[in-house]
Amino acid sequence: VLFPTVTFAVFFMIVLTVSWALMTRQRTWRAWILVASYVFYAWWDWRFVFLLAASTVVNHVLAVAMYRADGARIRKLLLGLAVAFDLGLLAYFKYSGFFVSSTDNVFGTSWIVNITLPVGISFYTFMAISYVVDTYRRELVPASFARFAVFQAFFPHLVAGPIVRASELLPQLETPRDPRKVNTSRAFVLILSGLFLKVVIANHLSTHIVDDVFAAPNKHSSLEVLVAVYGYAVQIFADFCGYTNIAIGVALLLGFEFPQNFNSPYAAVSLQDFWRRWHMTLSRWLRDYLYIPLGGNRKGTLLTYRNLMLTMLLGGLWHGAAWTFVVWGGIHGTGLAIERALGWRPATAAAQWFGRILTFHVVCFAWIFFRADSFSRAGQVLERLVTAWGQSSPLVTTSVVLAILVGIAGQYIRPSAVGNVVAGFQRLPVVAQGACIAVVLVAINTLGPEGVAPFIYFRF
Amino acid sequence: MAFFRTAAGRGIVVLFLGLVLAALLEAEGLRKQAQIQPQGFQRHLALDVTRPLVRFSHALHLTTPRHELQVAIGRRNEDQIDTQVHLSLPPPAGPIPQGGARHRGTPAPHHRGTPASVKPRFTATKPLKIWVAGDSLAQVPGEGLERVSAADLDVLPIESRLSTGLARPDLYNWYTRFTQVIAALHPKVAVLSFGADDAHDYMAGAPAGTTVGPLGSASWSAEYRRRVDGVTRELDAAGMYVVWLGLPIPDGPGFKKSFPIVNRILESVARAHKQGATYVDTWHLLDDSHGNYTPYLRVRGTLTLMRLPDGVHYTSSAGDLIAHQVLAQLHAKYRF
Repeated sequence: VLFPTVTFAVFFMIVLTVSWALMTRQRTWRAWILVASYVFYAWWDWRFVFLLAASTVVNHVLAVAMYRADGARIRKLLLGLAVAFDLGLLAYFKYSGFFVSSTDNVFGTSWIVNITLPVGISFYTFMAISYVVDTYRRELVPASFARFAVFQAFFPHLVAGPIVRASELLPQLETPRDPRKVNTSRAFVLILSGLFLKVVIANHLSTHIVDDVFAAPNKHSSLEVLVAVYGYAVQIFADFCGYTNIAIGVALLLGFEFPQNFNSPYAAVSLQDFWRRWHMTLSRWLRDYLYIPLGGNRKGTLLTYRNLMLTMLLGGLWHGAAWTFVVWGGIHGTGLAIERALGWRPATAAAQWFGRILTFHVVCFAWIFFRADSFSRAGQVLERLVTAWGQSSPLVTTSVVLAILVGIAGQYIRPSAVGNVVAGFQRLPVVAQGACIAVVLVAINTLGPEGVAPFIYFRF
Repeated sequence: MAFFRTAAGRGIVVLFLGLVLAALLEAEGLRKQAQIQPQGFQRHLALDVTRPLVRFSHALHLTTPRHELQVAIGRRNEDQIDTQVHLSLPPPAGPIPQGGARHRGTPAPHHRGTPASVKPRFTATKPLKIWVAGDSLAQVPGEGLERVSAADLDVLPIESRLSTGLARPDLYNWYTRFTQVIAALHPKVAVLSFGADDAHDYMAGAPAGTTVGPLGSASWSAEYRRRVDGVTRELDAAGMYVVWLGLPIPDGPGFKKSFPIVNRILESVARAHKQGATYVDTWHLLDDSHGNYTPYLRVRGTLTLMRLPDGVHYTSSAGDLIAHQVLAQLHAKYRF
């Protein structure tokens, strides 16, 4: 089920109402929300419901066994089994085609695999890994099976995050949510802003410039290519931040708090700062379950750089099974290493603006490899950026430039301004709130291009 | 009742009010959404719900704000439902010619046809204008054509509209669009990819008194052939050469039965209009040596991904492969 559809609106209205009606009867509520989440997932492809269920059962059984086991070796073995199972799922469903074709192109093996990628597998697998690792570290007491099943399948985060930690969501599943303490105004502002970002900004940029230019860069002027690169930077932000805003808002209406996932990433003054603002739940996952276990910055300068680079390369590969994603991670890893070597921490206002502009352009440069479907296409984009100035640029329209400017300017909106909007909405009477929502929904739907393109991060 | 005085309770009321009011303001758009759904219970239900909604909304002039906004952004007719199959040329006397059967790998005879001396010549200063249009399967081959074409070809902006086709003018009326393109863009070649979203039982806009049976029935095939043939003749009459892109071999059993029905019609119509149309057999272009679906093909020695995970859509490599096939067929007709 896609968030910006009538089907989802009807689905959510029913789930929300029944959810609050059942909230005090926790067992029944858990059964209801689990069924709703599985229906949500099955809407995409019912076959993969069994995969999600299998992931839940295996991770829960191993986490409980690990918690009850006394010996360090047996606990380590169980952790290894759980992580191997989770990574095995990812390797099989997400990476087998990539590995097999890469192997073939080196050794000529002529093996071919044809495996459908289950939507959201990267997200719920990472959540499962954090659950078993936290249990192993004795930071977490395994929840009941029903609670863990809800934690993993809870539909607001199921297909594209945010990657919620067990320690964040499981405690909220212990007791009924208090209907008096739900910040519905914040939820509505998040949902509407998410819809605007996705339907108006991201879809417009995708259909009016980005897809055309990245499909055939050689046919476009340097100005079009440059605007398309900026456009993609805004598109991917609007698409993914839009999705997570909706997810966080939907969860909030159901009574649950999710962690923030974006914090004005294009206002970052350095790459390190960028990764504290972009896909924050993935960044901290990579930090806590990859970078720090590798040794972090505790084992000397060289190993710190190695760990940094490994983390970013694997982070790149997490996004997609292609070498272009690895290069994207490599660019970020290299940039982070350079910043570290230089001790780059801009203090003055001028240095911060320099940092912002430089960081944004390094990020845009890396997005070229992220968006292009091959190295040759990325090369064409880069070449075209410098070789076709002065040609006509019909794709650079006012609406495209406006969408990019809105996307960038949005990064500089102060949290207090958003807080004022929420507070203003809160003060309105119920009917006026409903009317506001209706007007904004209709405006978004009318301004957005026809059809609903899938969210970019669904495929990761 | 006490619940509705809590924040969550008020939130449900606000959301309900917001959605109901949005439905009223957007009634015409919702009616179109209902209309264009595939046949079945969900469509009937959606139509039953939206019919009174539109009446009520009209009565209160609630559709006006959306209308005004659409006019302001130049999309005034977006909510209109047009089921007319606009084909201005009368059908030929007698049954529509079906063309002969062709075996796999045998090029259509007209590919070798036109002698070089009489082939129209196109150059960088006078390029061959190509218009690529169709459903979502048109996009990637169109992009491929943009990539592989030189300056003597001018690929116009690709018009690829998700989930549209020749069977459902209510969803998007391609027949109207063909008329507009003939009048405004004057392309020399139309590369059309239709059928993936037509391969269903329901067809809108059938002539009065005609009943169209399920997909694959004689009446379905006859009506679909009438449309494909009509489009070919309209474009041919306007001086355009039509390249029909066949549907590719799909993964999974569902489309394997329905796509060949469409392909047979596209191919037979192209063969019946040898001077004005041709057919590109993407099914056999993308299958493996055993005639089965494969996501990868070896291209210049490298195992290359050809199909997206949905088992239907193309990767850009497949787009390039199809584009080369299109160019090969155009070379038989034009010099460029």
